[in-house]
Amino acid sequence: MDLTEKLVPLRKGLLEFVILKIVAGDKVYVADMLKLLGPTEFATQEGTLYPLLSKLRREELVDYEWQESEAGPPRKYYKLTAKGRTQLAALNDYWKNLNRTLADFGN
Amino acid sequence: MQKVVSISLNGNSYQLEEPGYEELRVYLERAEARLADSPDRAEVMADLEQAIGEKCRALLGPHKSVVSAAEVSGIIREMGPVESPDGKPADAGFAPGAAPGASTTPGLHPRKRLFKIREGQMWTGVCNGIAAYINVDVTWVRIAVALLTLFSGGGVFLVYLVLAFIVPYADTAEDRAAAFGMPFNTEELIKSAKKNFEEFGDKYRWRREWRRQQRHWNRQFKHMNEQLRVATANAAPAMSQTARAIGSVFVPIAALVGAIVFVVWILALLSLVTQHTIFGWALPHNIPLWVGILLLFMAYSVVAAPLRAIRHGGQNAAGYHPGWNVLHSLMWIGFTALLFWVAYTFFPGVRELVDQLMWAANLTVSTISETIV
Repeated sequence: MDLTEKLVPLRKGLLEFVILKIVAGDKVYVADMLKLLGPTEFATQEGTLYPLLSKLRREELVDYEWQESEAGPPRKYYKLTAKGRTQLAALNDYWKNLNRTLADFGN
Repeated sequence: MQKVVSISLNGNSYQLEEPGYEELRVYLERAEARLADSPDRAEVMADLEQAIGEKCRALLGPHKSVVSAAEVSGIIREMGPVESPDGKPADAGFAPGAAPGASTTPGLHPRKRLFKIREGQMWTGVCNGIAAYINVDVTWVRIAVALLTLFSGGGVFLVYLVLAFIVPYADTAEDRAAAFGMPFNTEELIKSAKKNFEEFGDKYRWRREWRRQQRHWNRQFKHMNEQLRVATANAAPAMSQTARAIGSVFVPIAALVGAIVFVVWILALLSLVTQHTIFGWALPHNIPLWVGILLLFMAYSVVAAPLRAIRHGGQNAAGYHPGWNVLHSLMWIGFTALLFWVAYTFFPGVRELVDQLMWAANLTVSTISETIV
């Protein structure tokens, strides 16, 4: 099994965390999220992102509002909920701890 | 020139080239299937449709109103396979390291299935479909079917006829893709056999397919008749002598073949009812007797229908005359009686069969009369 293959599940698991981080800023449209993620290791596609966002909304971590667009029908803009903010903070803490643990083990 | 299909994506209409429409339909169907367990299914589907619509709109302009098939493929590649975060894992969600859009989507290839293929068909397209299914040249399949028909004493031909009316034509782009499909393996074979068996249970499908097949044959033979009639009319009146000759050769042959088919069928039916075998061949355990009888009836009509059509074609070539029909009926009765007599006299199996039947009939009659008396 080569390295990139080993890292796929890791990135997959972290995608939810990354989405919460992106949504924590300003309200975002899916196409803009994809553009942000594109050049990173977390590059993904609508087929993955929409189901994930729907799941996060069901868990009440994110919400969306409709906004008119200059071309075409209104669009969904996603934002973080209060519950999502709490969870993001917890995830950030966890990540920091994880980094520390990894650093403690050294090379 | 391409046929264009108008579709509505989340409330907005778009025009796609037909192959593009097929591909999109398959993509959305797959997405829906993958999200079947998800409570967000309806919402995600609407989101996906809107995203696809937006991508379509970006491609269109004042001088371009149709999304091409290639563009639809591009859009679908961009969208990527749909993955349910709380459902089953998708086959290729995260393209490892690669840019989105570069990933191949194996989930999009339709499963390989057996279809009849019209392009380059000789008769019904069954051989053509089998050739596509096992990925060999159609000529080899035709030779194999012809040889097997000879060596199996016609059994393979019956199988062919059954296939001709239960296997559907590949009429849509999706069907055609599935007909050529991926390289096949045993798993696929078992799966498609299962699926075909499930469809086999759908009695209306049988009837529908059969009617369609009959219409197809009727059309073909009508066309043939038309050509023959035109040819005859052009050659008239000097033809009438020849026409009579054609008729007098054709009608007895048709009557003989028809009688043979009928006698064989009756004997098969008798043997199935009395001994639960067809000429020594036992039905598989899981097939009840009534299904066997039903299949036998179907097989008969499958064989008899084209024969009848050919006969009518031949008669009409000889100039239509009701006398041909009377002649044919008389000859058919004569041949049938003769064949029964020959079978009863020279084949001990047949005699046993008929005697057994007579015995059963006698028994029934005596039982009934005893009950009445």
